[in-house]
Amino acid sequence: MTTLVASITVSHYLAVGAVLFVTGVMCMATKRNALGVLMGIELVLNGANVNFVALGSPFLRSTTLGIDGSLIALFVIVLAAAEAAVALAIALNFYNNHITIDVDRAEDLKG
Amino acid sequence: MDTTFLPGILGIAVLVPLGSFAAIFTLGRWWKPVTGGYVATGAIALSGVLSLCALAIWLGHHPVGAGAHHAQGTVDRVPLSLVAWRADTDGAPHAEESGAQGVVPSAYAGDYYQLGEFGQLRLSIGYYIDALTVVMFCVVTFIAFCIHVYALGYMHEELHTVTDHEVTLADGTPLTRPGRFGCFFQYMSLFCFSMLGLVLSGNIAMVFVFWELVGICSYFLIGFYIERRSACLAANKAFIVNRVGDFGMLIGMMALWSGLGTFAFGDVDRDGNGTIEPAERGIFSLVRPAERDHALTTPDGLVWAAAQEELVRWRQAHPEATGADAQRYARAQLPGWRDGGTDGTGQRYGYGWLTLAGIGIFCGCVGKSAQFPLHVWLPDAMEGPTPVSALVHSATMVAAGVYLVGRFYAVFTAEALLVIAVTGAVTLFLAATIAITATDIKRVLAYSTVSQLGYMMLALGVGGWLAGMLHLVTHACFKSLLFLCSGSVIHAVHSNDLRVMGGLWRKMPITAITMLIGCVAIAGLGIPLVIGLSGYYSKDLILEQALSFAQENGGRWAGLFFLVAAGGAAITAFYMFRLWFLAFAGQPRDAHRHGHAHESPRVMYVPLVLLALCAVGAAWELPGSDLSVAGLLEQARPTGTAATLTGVWVPLAWPSEHVAHAASSHGTIVVPAVLVAFATAVAGLALAVAMYVTGWLQPAEVSRQFAPVYRLFWNKWWFDELYAWGFVRPVGVLARLCAACDTGWIDRCLDALARGTCRVAVFWEQLADRRLIDGPVDRAAGWTYALGLSLRRLQTGNVRQYILFLVVGVVVVFLISSLFL
Amino acid sequence: MTLLGTIDWYAWFFGLFALLASVFAAAVLLTNNIVRMAFYLTLSLGATAGLFFLAGAEFVGAMQLMIYVGGTLVLLVFGVMLTAQATFIVMRPRSGEWVAALLAGSLLLGLLIATAWGVRPWREPRPTGALALAEGQSATAVGAALTGVRVDRLGDPAAPEGPSRTYSRSGYLFPFLIVSVHLLVVLVGAAYLARPRVEQPVRAEGRSP
Repeated sequence: MTTLVASITVSHYLAVGAVLFVTGVMCMATKRNALGVLMGIELVLNGANVNFVALGSPFLRSTTLGIDGSLIALFVIVLAAAEAAVALAIALNFYNNHITIDVDRAEDLKG
Repeated sequence: MDTTFLPGILGIAVLVPLGSFAAIFTLGRWWKPVTGGYVATGAIALSGVLSLCALAIWLGHHPVGAGAHHAQGTVDRVPLSLVAWRADTDGAPHAEESGAQGVVPSAYAGDYYQLGEFGQLRLSIGYYIDALTVVMFCVVTFIAFCIHVYALGYMHEELHTVTDHEVTLADGTPLTRPGRFGCFFQYMSLFCFSMLGLVLSGNIAMVFVFWELVGICSYFLIGFYIERRSACLAANKAFIVNRVGDFGMLIGMMALWSGLGTFAFGDVDRDGNGTIEPAERGIFSLVRPAERDHALTTPDGLVWAAAQEELVRWRQAHPEATGADAQRYARAQLPGWRDGGTDGTGQRYGYGWLTLAGIGIFCGCVGKSAQFPLHVWLPDAMEGPTPVSALVHSATMVAAGVYLVGRFYAVFTAEALLVIAVTGAVTLFLAATIAITATDIKRVLAYSTVSQLGYMMLALGVGGWLAGMLHLVTHACFKSLLFLCSGSVIHAVHSNDLRVMGGLWRKMPITAITMLIGCVAIAGLGIPLVIGLSGYYSKDLILEQALSFAQENGGRWAGLFFLVAAGGAAITAFYMFRLWFLAFAGQPRDAHRHGHAHESPRVMYVPLVLLALCAVGAAWELPGSDLSVAGLLEQARPTGTAATLTGVWVPLAWPSEHVAHAASSHGTIVVPAVLVAFATAVAGLALAVAMYVTGWLQPAEVSRQFAPVYRLFWNKWWFDELYAWGFVRPVGVLARLCAACDTGWIDRCLDALARGTCRVAVFWEQLADRRLIDGPVDRAAGWTYALGLSLRRLQTGNVRQYILFLVVGVVVVFLISSLFL
Repeated sequence: MTLLGTIDWYAWFFGLFALLASVFAAAVLLTNNIVRMAFYLTLSLGATAGLFFLAGAEFVGAMQLMIYVGGTLVLLVFGVMLTAQATFIVMRPRSGEWVAALLAGSLLLGLLIATAWGVRPWREPRPTGALALAEGQSATAVGAALTGVRVDRLGDPAAPEGPSRTYSRSGYLFPFLIVSVHLLVVLVGAAYLARPRVEQPVRAEGRSP
């Protein structure tokens, strides 16, 4: 019980963010499906977002980033959406050309 | 018998092979071919018997004392002989001992016959006999005898008409020629005569004559299959490369003669009055005079020559002085000039000349002993018949260079010794690496020879006179054994290529076992600190001396010699056992050749067994006595070289060889050196086993993995290409140019002159435009392209790999920054 | 009731959401089925939104749910549907890559967690008692900041006088505009990229039937 009662600090948030980040990186490093890689990127961005929010939270520390943290997190979300849209368009195009979504098959430029 | 018989006995031993040569040369055409072989073999056997007699006489007067070479003293026990010989009217020399009565001289020097005297220049046929001479006589005659016997079997094809399939005539048929059995043995006899004469020589002029005789004999023998183009080229190469070294030797000889005024090695009492006048002193006693405790002394003549400027300055300062005054002044100043003033800090006049003389003499030895950078001729010399390879590469020709360095050891300054050591170390490493990748069985052995000669030079260069000389003797035994074994293998499978051999030990057990003994001996394997084959002792001595040198000087660079020697030991063990495993172990790689393989006839394998016995025990003490080759050689140590030598220009000290063997340094030098030698040899053996027996490591994969290194070794460090590009081709171009000029002059015609100009223009276009301008540009482009190709491999196009690189990069950057910030 | 009162509900919910987010992220990593991946990703992102609420960033949490879970993931699911070839197509990487990724990932995780606990102010809890709900960041403050007014900095005595003070009070109007234009461009670009091409003579064989 003591662990649950103990109060939460920024470090706890950062640890969760680190887990999400590393999971995302490994996702990118092990998926052959382009959409899987994309999801890994989303996880990485989320990990970063957790950090921003935690560092801007007034509940966790006296001196914080304030609403700057929230705003940067917002921008990240928006940019992630934009990136997802473009990446998806590229993936669709790739799929139309190669009948597969396997990133290993994208080797037309390889000499 | 008395020692007075020594010059006579050894002189006859030298002349017998010459007689055999003359007999075959003049009468050979009426004999059956095989008779020539028997005559030559008989002659060398007679020489061997005479050498053994000389050894017995020598031992009778110079017993090898108890633990002679472990003597604690740092100075020589026996002063150099003040013994002189002179040619009497009846030609029989006799000894006259002067100096301390009852002291047995360690060397006998004298003249058989005086050719002429031109002012100061005295040319004579002399001898210089010490323990080294006697040992070399026994080694050379014994090994040459074994090789002669072996050749009687090996060269049997030459008894009849020979069809040489390697030479194709214009009409496409192979060449057919009469056999040259007698001719072969005629050259062998001349070769033995030259080598024995070289060993006996009493002055440098004579050494030079026999030196060139050895060279010309090797030319004949390497080019024995004269119809083959490769043999022709190899013979030319050997001869020309040796000339390059001999040029340096001539310079050294001239420097020595101008400084000393004599060619003779030892003191010769020519007028027979029992005392040695200054004009009768030899090189050794002039360079290391007894008055100065046999320390290395720049001879007066060299000091005079170098200090002329001082004299001129003095004459300018004292215009009124007469010539006699100047003489007096110079004589008074001479010691100061020699030693750099009273405190030794000033300029040492003449020291540079002495160093130059030493390096010049060494240049000749570089050529003869195939040291870097003149090592290229020796592997090509494998074109000769295998007995020739065995003779040239073990006891005679290449040994001559090391022998001369050992003979002249007293003359070398510290700086010259450093040059020798560096040359030896480079050669040793270079040749050993090339031997790893060679696939021709004789070439592996040839590079092994070069490498072992590098060992000897390294040993001599770091102050190990005994180590170098002992390795010369033991190496002669096991290397001739290895060559004869390889000849036996080639005789059986009719190929030099290791890649078509394999599994031969069932077919030819005697060759396999004797060759294994040779491999173990050359690898220096043995039970550490207890017993081993001959190579174990000599290699240990070398490593001990190198370690002693490193400890004496402490610096990082001095230790490099020891590291190279130890690394070379590992590589040696690796390539020798690689050779053995490839040839004899495993499965046959060529069933056809394997099926026809057979053990050699008795006339060939008996010499193998004899030599194998020598390879095992050459460095052992005779049971029940203190007699050993090492002890015998120790008697011949050049006077004064047992003391520690210090460099003038280089801040290094050459420790006495006794330092390494003193009881106090047993734990600090002997034990580490022996253990390192053993560990490296075992490591090399283990690697060879892993690669060629058990197959844990695939040689092909390893060579792919280290492809650039492999290519470097396979192409012999591109030395041949380098020389062809740097020397041969320019000389060829120059020669062609000269030829063009010549025809132009002979024609004496404007037309021809115009044509010559044309040719010059073409030549310049070739040289300047194509080679100097286009060449670098093309090469730079090629390099850029190759660089791009190699960098391309980094871009795999694999996304996941990139991400991993990224992650690892982040972690590494973080770690580095946390370590250093 | 007393038992419930002793529990630190904040920590409890934090643990719950953190666990959900981490476990589903791991599930995304471990599954090979792309549809399940998308589903687990939704859950993981939703749990993260919960973490945002807990941290007092209600507006960000809401946007996370709306844009991310509602928008981006729908895009992804569309992508899955448009590129699905067979029901359960399996594309596995080589085992060596798994080993390498595990090694690198564990290194990175260790590094990040060591950093998270390495900074003293981060691991010290806020002094208790002084916290009021009103201190949370309301949507008003965020929206005002996006239009260029920093409501939270109005009475900031630490900010210096003069133009720099004005600057420190300025909000995120300019980045907001840039992001808006960026989003527009990106969407147009995406539509252009993803448009079906009518004729394709060279790679005709590469198109889906």
